[in-house]
Amino acid sequence: MEESDIRNAVFDYFSGRATPLQKQAINVWLEDPSHHDQYYSWLHKWELDHLQAPASWQNAYARTEHRVTYRPVPAESALPPGNTGPWYSRGFRIAAAFVLLSALGISLYLMRDTILYTTVQATYGETKHTVLPDGSQVSLNANSSIRYARFGFGRGQREVSLSGEADFEISRTPDRKLFVVSTSTGLKVTVLGTAFTVFARPRGSQVTLRSGKVALQANRKRADPDIIMAPGDIVSINTAGELSRSHTSRPEHVSSWKEHMITLDRTSLLEISAILEEIYGFRVELKEPELGTRTATGMLPIQNAETALELVSDMFAIHFLREDDKIIFEN
Amino acid sequence: MRKGAFLTRQEKSTGKEDTLREHDASARVIDNDQIIRIAFDESTSKGFEMLFRLYYQALYSHALRFVYSKEKAEDIVCDVFHDFWKSDSYSSIQTTYRTYLYAAVRNRAYSYVRYELKEERNMTGPESSEHISAENSPESIMEYDELHQRIDRAILELPPQCQRVFLLSRFDGKKNKEIAANLDLSIKTVEAHLAKALSQLRKVISGTLVLFSWLSQ
Repeated sequence: MEESDIRNAVFDYFSGRATPLQKQAINVWLEDPSHHDQYYSWLHKWELDHLQAPASWQNAYARTEHRVTYRPVPAESALPPGNTGPWYSRGFRIAAAFVLLSALGISLYLMRDTILYTTVQATYGETKHTVLPDGSQVSLNANSSIRYARFGFGRGQREVSLSGEADFEISRTPDRKLFVVSTSTGLKVTVLGTAFTVFARPRGSQVTLRSGKVALQANRKRADPDIIMAPGDIVSINTAGELSRSHTSRPEHVSSWKEHMITLDRTSLLEISAILEEIYGFRVELKEPELGTRTATGMLPIQNAETALELVSDMFAIHFLREDDKIIFEN
Repeated sequence: MRKGAFLTRQEKSTGKEDTLREHDASARVIDNDQIIRIAFDESTSKGFEMLFRLYYQALYSHALRFVYSKEKAEDIVCDVFHDFWKSDSYSSIQTTYRTYLYAAVRNRAYSYVRYELKEERNMTGPESSEHISAENSPESIMEYDELHQRIDRAILELPPQCQRVFLLSRFDGKKNKEIAANLDLSIKTVEAHLAKALSQLRKVISGTLVLFSWLSQ
């Protein structure tokens, strides 16, 4: 049997549709222990396509990690000693409070220009997470920033401006106030309560909706009707202002950078290079232009630039040269 | 997907057919184990974080096929990870992480089901048969898949009301009293439905048990 026939037989088998002959073939194929990893890898793939109930790996991990690392503290050392020493003395606390207050006063004075707005910025190579005054959650990808009114945020609409790439989980307010994201590229996303990712960089703009409903105003021209998006919808706008729509069953992959990963799905090296430029501030060059059309699929960890570069080179079986911020990929 | 959307425009400009053929010729897949090893190089907890991220959801869903209880499935998968972590065997496994984790979860889930449904409970506890490496024959690997399919079928074949009561009780972990109130039934009826469902399952499991013990001889 060909590998692809075995694969089909195994997937039929997992779904309970295999014939006795198919089962027999799988049985023979499994006699070679080197096929066992393949069997489990197909089982994993099949399971991912037929998930029975949602689960949070974060909770499970936290629970298990706690169980592994928790050591009961001996009773006598559980309480701090009676004399807490100079660090905790009353005089020290008063002095510290005074210093803090004066520092605060001086900073307030020096920063009075930026006092009206709060700016949250993630520099090259880092991601940031912030909670807005209304409880909405924002994750910022590298080289991105958001700005919002420091006072009276949400007194009218809740308004945020974005440059770069961010993922939003908007909380609903009791009075159903609108939440508006305006981008440096002229995009305007209006929502009630929902989760979505906005991409606004020089090479284009894009909005991906995970849940809820948003209205998108793609153009500065007010006359255009809003685009209403449903979960899984992706709206992209290229530099020429042309709009395209597509759909994904895994909208969360678009924001996997929140977990320091990039989900590649037949992603070209050309695009991976653009991403590396955006998140690390590199200038990437392909020595042979045809390299750009090669693609890769999988998860790319991006926590560390050097590791990411090595993995990309490994994946494509190419080399990279690095001079400061200039990266050259070559065969 | 962002990547996909930008790619589409690129394909238009380069001629779609050529680009697609190029995909197939050069598409590469990053090996999960490589990513996991990089994470383990950083620290053990980073390594396990990556294992959870990549495999927890699927393993949990797989365990559910055997035990049909959210709580039990979570316990089983977490216990497997916990033991894997505590025993330090993660640094010396002979298979891929995926193979190890799936084999361990299936083994533990099966032990649990057997422990729960087998009448002579006092014979063995659920933890007593953790011999993953010993069961490596094609039959023993496939028998797990036969088993969860048989469990599925047995539950599907239950009368609708009986199935509903069973799932509320096992899967959602609801108390008999709550189920009775929810479905407007007497507690006695709820108990009767559960007894019927369990006896059906016991038949399925005991059929498989004979085969399993025959295999392990």
